[in-house]
Formats: sequence, C-alpha cells, structure tokens
Amino acid sequence: MAPAEQAVRRSLELLHMSVFSQSVSPCGRYLAAGNNYGEIAIFSLSAALSSEAKEESKKPVVSFTAHDGPVYALVSTDRQLLSASDGEIKAWNWAEIVKKGCKEAWSRRPPLRSSLEVPEINSLQLNTKVGQLAGAAGGDCAVRVMDLESGAFTHELRGHRDYVHCLALRDQLHQCLSGGEDGTVRLWDLRTGAQVQVIEVHKYEECSRPQNGKWIRCLATDSDWMVCGGGPALTLWHLRSVTPHHRLPRCRPQQHVLFYQDLLLAGGQGPAVHHLQLSGEVKARIPCTPRAVLSLCLNERSPEHKVLTAAGSSPKIDVFTNLGYRAFSLAFA
Amino acid sequence: MSSDSSKKRKPKVIRTDGGPQEGKRGKADADQDARYYSEEGEVDLRDPIKDYELYKETCQELQRLMAEIQELKSKGVKDNASEIDERRIQSCVHFMTLKKLNRLAHIRLKKGRDQTHEAKQKVDAYHLQLQNLLYEVMHLQKEITKCLEFKSKHEEIELVSLEEFYREAPPEISRPAITLAEPHQQTLARLDWELEQRKRLAEKYKECLANKEKILKEIEVKKEYLSSLQPRLNSIMQASLPVQEYLFMPFDQAHKQYEIARHLPPPLYVLFVQASAYGQACDKKLVVAIEGSVEEAKALYKPPEDSQDDESDSDAEEEQTTKRRRPTLGVQLDDKRKEMLKRHPLSVTVDLKCKDENVLHLTFYYLMNLNVMTVKTKVTTAVELTTPISAGDLLSPDSLLSCLYPGDHGKKTPNPANQFQFDKVGIVTLSDYVTELGHPYVWVQKLGGLHFPKDQPQHMVTADNSLSASHMEMTVKLLRTRLQSRLALHKQFASLEHGVVPVSSECQHLFPSKIVSRLVKWAAIPYEDYAELPYTRDVLEAGLAEDTHLYYMALIERGTAKLQAAVVLNPGYSTLPPIFSLCLNWKGERTSSNDDNIRAMESEVNVSYKELWGPKPGYQLLTNQLQRLCMVLDVYLETESHDTSVEGPKEFPQEKMCLRLVRGPTRMKPFKFNYPQGFFSHR
Repeated sequence: MAPAEQAVRRSLELLHMSVFSQSVSPCGRYLAAGNNYGEIAIFSLSAALSSEAKEESKKPVVSFTAHDGPVYALVSTDRQLLSASDGEIKAWNWAEIVKKGCKEAWSRRPPLRSSLEVPEINSLQLNTKVGQLAGAAGGDCAVRVMDLESGAFTHELRGHRDYVHCLALRDQLHQCLSGGEDGTVRLWDLRTGAQVQVIEVHKYEECSRPQNGKWIRCLATDSDWMVCGGGPALTLWHLRSVTPHHRLPRCRPQQHVLFYQDLLLAGGQGPAVHHLQLSGEVKARIPCTPRAVLSLCLNERSPEHKVLTAAGSSPKIDVFTNLGYRAFSLAFA
Repeated sequence: MSSDSSKKRKPKVIRTDGGPQEGKRGKADADQDARYYSEEGEVDLRDPIKDYELYKETCQELQRLMAEIQELKSKGVKDNASEIDERRIQSCVHFMTLKKLNRLAHIRLKKGRDQTHEAKQKVDAYHLQLQNLLYEVMHLQKEITKCLEFKSKHEEIELVSLEEFYREAPPEISRPAITLAEPHQQTLARLDWELEQRKRLAEKYKECLANKEKILKEIEVKKEYLSSLQPRLNSIMQASLPVQEYLFMPFDQAHKQYEIARHLPPPLYVLFVQASAYGQACDKKLVVAIEGSVEEAKALYKPPEDSQDDESDSDAEEEQTTKRRRPTLGVQLDDKRKEMLKRHPLSVTVDLKCKDENVLHLTFYYLMNLNVMTVKTKVTTAVELTTPISAGDLLSPDSLLSCLYPGDHGKKTPNPANQFQFDKVGIVTLSDYVTELGHPYVWVQKLGGLHFPKDQPQHMVTADNSLSASHMEMTVKLLRTRLQSRLALHKQFASLEHGVVPVSSECQHLFPSKIVSRLVKWAAIPYEDYAELPYTRDVLEAGLAEDTHLYYMALIERGTAKLQAAVVLNPGYSTLPPIFSLCLNWKGERTSSNDDNIRAMESEVNVSYKELWGPKPGYQLLTNQLQRLCMVLDVYLETESHDTSVEGPKEFPQEKMCLRLVRGPTRMKPFKFNYPQGFFSHR
C-alpha cells in the first residue's frame, strides 16, 4: 500500500503547491524554482527549449529539499545560488547542482531579537558591484545587508512598522528601496544605513484601495522611476519629485512587476501576465496556468535561451518564448 | 573428226558386208557356240592393255589405208584399182580385228559388272549380321541391369549388427567358416538368426498376455472384497457418532466438508484449502464453509461437457424448427448468455469476525465458462445500526470492497480471454451483471490461485496454491481494515448528519477549546454532481477523483459565512486521505482559484493530514479534518483585514491568539494551532 499512499500524497502536495521564487543560473541554461514545501527544483531551459524536447525535459533535472519552510527568494551570483526561507539564507554551488550533488555551500542566519517566532526572509537583492546582499526579513520588520565576501551582516535598516515584502536596488545611487505590509515604501542609503525617504503609498488618493489593504508587495525601479503595487493600485512614481505619475489600470492586487525595455510586466491575482505601457495602457494580457502569479523571471543571461517564466500557485511554471505567447510549462514532479 | 565420221560409217559398211558373214555363222552354229565360250575363256587369257594397244594400232593402220586409197583415187589412174582392192582387203582384216576387240570389251564389261554385284551382295549380308549382333548385345545389357536392380525383400528387415550376430548366434546358424568369406551366405545366416529370435519373442508376448489376464482377475477379486467393506465401515462410523459428539470432536463434520470440497472446482478448492489453513494457523476468527448443492456439482462432472453442449444445441434447433420466428434468435442468445455466465453450484463462504463481533460475510463463486471467480459481500453488525442517509453506500456490497488493492474496481473481468467470449454472445461488459454474479476483483482471483498476466502470452490458467497462499494474509488484513474503517465511518456519519463533529479525547489537543463554526450539513452526493462543481476541477484534473470513490458535501457555517466543502472519500480510507475542495460564500465567492488563503485551508486538511490521523489505525481522520476545517474557518474569518472605509463593528471579532496576522509573500493567515499554549502561528 505504501507506494499508492505516497503517490496520492505527492499528488496532493502538487495540488497545493505554490512556487514563490525563481532564479536563472549564471550560464543562463538552468532555471531554479523554490516552492512552499522548501524544495528547490532545477529545470534545464536548454533541454526544454531544444527542438527535440520531450515531456521528461520539462520535468526538473534535479530537485532537493533546501529548507524546512517555503523558499521565498532565490538569487544567483556568478557561482552560487542563494535561497532564503524562514530565518536563514543558504548557498548552493551551481557547479555542484548541475552535477546533481546538492550540498549546501554555507548557510547564515541573521541575528534575531525575538525567539518566539522565526521571521521569514521575503526578498533577496544582489548588488554585484560591491558584493552586497540585501535581504528583507519579515517578522522583525528589518532589511539587512550582508557582505558576501565575509558573510557578516553589515547594516540593519529599521523603520518599517510591519514586515517587509520586497526590495529594489538603485545601484548608481547606492540606494535601496523596500516596500512593506505597513503600506510604506522606504528609501535607504546603503553606505550609511540611514533612511532617506518614506512614501506612504496608501495615503495618496489615486493609489489607495482600502478594500484590498495597504500592503506593498511589488517594487521595481528604473533610474528615476519606480513602480509599486500590492493592496494599493499599481502606480508609476517619479522618485526625485516623489509624486505618483499615474495609476496603472489593474484592479487586482499585484505580486510581481518588472521593467522590460519600455514595458512593464506585471503578474498577480488572476491567471494572466500583463504587459503595461508606461503611459498607462494595457498592451496585452497573456493568459497563463497559475491562478495567481507570484514570480516573474526574465532570462537575460543567455541570448539563445531568452525567455520569460511565470510561476505562482501551481506546480507548473509557464515559459514564454517571446513575450506574447505561452510556449509550454515546466512542472514539478 | 574425220576418224569419228569414218567410224560411223564403218558399221554401215559392215552391215552391207555382213550378209555373207551371218551366213557363215548360221552354217556352223555349234562351232560358233564353242567359239563363243572359247572367246569368253580367251578374255581371261588376254591382257586388256595389250588389246588396247592393238586397237590403237589397228585404227592407225586403217587410217593409213584409207588415206592411201584416197590418194590413189585422187590420182585417178585406172590401174591403181588392184592396189585399191588390195588395200580394201587389208582394211577389212583390220575391221575384223576391231570387231573382235569390241566383243572382248563387251564381255569384259559384263564380267566386271557381275563381279561388282557379287561383292555388293556379300557386303549386304555382312551388314545384316552386324545389326543382329548389336541388337542382341543391347538386349543382354538390359537383362543385366534388370538383374542388378533387383531388390530382395530381406533388405527391409532390420537385422542385428554384424558383431552382435557373431557374438550371440549359435555357430550352427552363424557358421563363421563359410559366412565370413561369403557375404551372401552371411546374409542368409543373419536372416535365419532373425527368424529364430522373432519366434522366441512371439512366444514371450503370449506368455505376458496370459500373465496380465491372470492379474486382472486377481484385481477384480480384491475390488469386490473392498466394496464389501464399505457398508461395514459405514455402520461403524454411524455407531461412533454419539461418541464424537460426546467428546466435542467434530471429525465427522470436517470430514463431510472435505468430502464436499472434492466437488469444488479447482480455484474454489484452492481458496477453501488456503483459507481454512490460514484460519487454523493464524486467525481463529476466520470461518470457512461450503454452500450449495453437492448433487448438482456431481451431476456436472458425470456427462462429458460436449454432450451437454449438444443437448442445448439440439434444444435450440428444436425451438427453431418449431417456432421459426424472429424472436427465437434473441431467446437463443439469452440462453447462451446465461450458459456463459453460469456459476458453479457450489460456493465457498468466508466469515471474517472482528473484535467487536461485526462479521463480514464473503461468498465466493466460480464462473465455470469464464474461468473467473466473483465475490458477494454482506456485513452483519453486533448492534443494530441506525443507518444514516449519507452512509448508504458505505456498507453496500457494491462499494464495500472496491479498490481493496489500488485500481481494483471489480467491474471488469480480469481474464482477457473473456472479452472474445462476450463478443460472441453480445455482452458489452461484465459490469451489467456484477450485482447478480458478484464482483470479479483481482484479489479474488489471486486467492483462488488464478493469475492472468497481461504482459505475457497466456497459457491455460490453472489454480495455483502458492499464489493464493502468498496473498491470503495481506488480503484478510485489508478486508478487516476495510470493514472496520467503514464501520467507523458509518458511526461517524450518524453524528455528522446531526451537525456534531465527534472528536475523541485523544485528539482534543489538535484543536482549541472554542470553535465557533459549526457543521450544519453532511450529505452524500453523486459523482456527476461533484464533477460539475466549479471548484473541484483541480482535484479531478489531478486524477484524484474517480467515479468509484464516494462523494460528500459538507456545509460549515458561522454567521453569514458559509463554507462548502466537497469531499472525495477514497475507498482506501484511512491510509489514503479524503480530499476537500472548499468554496467560501462570504462577501463574494472565494475558492482556491481566487484566494490563496482558501488554498492554504485546503492544504491544511489535504496535505497536513498526517497529524490528524489520531490513534491508530486512524479511523478518526475524517472527523478530525472536518473539525480542523471549522477551526481554520474561524481563523480565516477573524483575521480578515477590516475594511476601514466601512462603518460599524467587525462581524467576527478576533478571539484567537495569533503571533502575526499575515506572513510571507502570499499574506497567509496563521492556521496552525499550537498546543498547549493555545496560540495560532503560521505553518
């Protein structure tokens, strides 16, 4: 009976699986995806995109349990894959992962204040120029900066009054943006660790949507422009003047937003990826498999495997070969 | 030319001059004869070459004379006449010589012809003789080949080898002195020896026959003796019955059972033997018995199978001839179907008793023509059960044993050969006949030792004891578990229908003491209804809901919020968990597709079911899942963020203790209950 039970158990797990995070390997040929059971699966984009791709090549090349809690964030340096879950960051060597040996290279736990609950790490951002990793911790409302060289936590950015959802970096200005459950977007100076600015998004009338709450879930920046959304409507901001430029016409809460050339790619509640023009029009609505899109990932590391992948509340990860068309789905097994 | 013309003229001259000559010949005829003969003889004496010379000389002489005469005449001198006459005489003599020579030549020619003819005749005679001889030679050669090709009959007789012959045959037959040198004699001797041996063997054969006859007679006598023993033994048995009863030793009953078991078909026999063996060795609460008419079973084996077929065929023929109407064909087909689906008159019953005196009755049948076994089930309980409406299918024979092993629905025949038999008589599937015949589960076949491999070519399937033995223990355990889990569900359903979720004391720690949400409805629904629900699509697509499973609908209420839960109950409950699909009606319809927290609630009961098994073997899983559903609904409603723009108090004030209200990117609510502190946290 045991195999039958295991099969049913796994199919139930798949039924309730959410993929929170994705990251492309430095070579651009592999895609790592982390789900709510703490598993990381590695898909081979080159195999799945090749002309003789079979059903098997859309299954993970290798998958392993990385954390006890959900894998909320994944990010790739030029050698390692960093994964974040409840209160810990682990690193895995890409070279070993590809050879199916999945031993963690190192793991770090940020210093915690309360012992009652281990706060989750909701977002990771990598500043490749200075070798810094910024992690947004959940429960203790802080953003921490880690030096990748030494593994030490150099700064602790405090100010949010609720947990932090998301981060964005402005490399040129050594600035970091964070959006949180408290409805604010805060700008930090990474050199000093001081708070530069606070934008209370829900207090602006054009953005506010009280029925959805005030939480900010997604952030993206491009020079002086910032787009943020979540409970409040998705809005394009001009950062220097700190004014909402205009509200983007999307009614349901957004989970992930990306700048791509002169487009905004956004996904959230509802089984679709939206292409928005900066002027505010919806250019396209591309249907996809997950009921809610939690993560978008654009592979720009390898030109021949340049695809957009969308993951969310489904064991399937949709692959868009050109932006307007869902080619196929990778799936957890 | 001139000579030629002269020659032509000559015979004329001769004729004119011949008169007196002929007269001469007439005068002396006899002399002439003699002279003719002598002339013939003269031919031999004379030399033809000389004659030829003579001829030439004479001709020249004649020419000369002619020329002289002409010369003289041309001179025209009168006195030359005598000279001419003289010369005329001379030429006449020459003519005579010429005539003579002519005759000789003729004779010679004739002679030559005769000689040639003679020689030719001789050659012909020789040739004829040669032909005759050649013919004779050919004939003789044919005769020789005929002789060579002659086959004697003795060549067909198999003879002992040469060495054996010299070793075993007595010298008066083998006569080595003669036979070794002469192969013909040797063969004759060998044939003699063969004949001798065969005669001996024939004698031996006769002896053996006689012996056999004798032994047969002896056997007959002994048989008679044995059959006379039977009534005596019977009477002894009869006499011993009261003693057996007195001593509580049911030898006789067991004996009777075994007696009947002899008439069981092989698969049922295997089942009977293995089940009673297992019962005796491991499980005292397993009772095996045989039911049905022994007489019918006996009757089944007496006439050979064809005669039965013939009978039915002739019957059908008779019917056809008497009625000759269209419907007869249908009747005939019906009869054939009945014949095909015929059960063996004997059946084996197995009664499985559980600890609480609930009994599962299994009746195993054997379909003779299909070579498959079927089972019918019945449950008797110790206490009279009040049957809840929703529990209708739980103990029904149709579903009770479905999927005992994964995928074994008992609707299709496990024997691949049957499909062809069905095609003949127009049966589409066996499932139309299952209620009447019983279910042909695969495990039933295995208990009967029947195995139908799908990936190998089929041989004749025979009942295999070891196969039955290897499956017996596992199957009995599964049967018992199935019965107990079904009875447990049966009991739980009764209270569920009254809106009470029974939680045993062992499971109290899984839930907070105060749960406000209440179960208000629990009802069975058909598969079609379940499949039509919009929020069950994912479960259906994942292949977790099949039409053989059981389906229920639960309704949990708190205030204005109504939570519908569609439940799939796998027949393998409780090792395989029931699966819930949720739909919350509260400020709009919320399902897993538009609300991640509803999805998380589903996963609380569907994925994290292991904590809810409760005490082994986990029969409280379903009630615990329902109770957890009530609990998470409380959490969901109480932690729902309050819309500040709407006036008035919250409908559901937060009573649960939570560390954080939301967490993670999907803003999950704290659904996990922590015992004994009593607060809620995130999973």
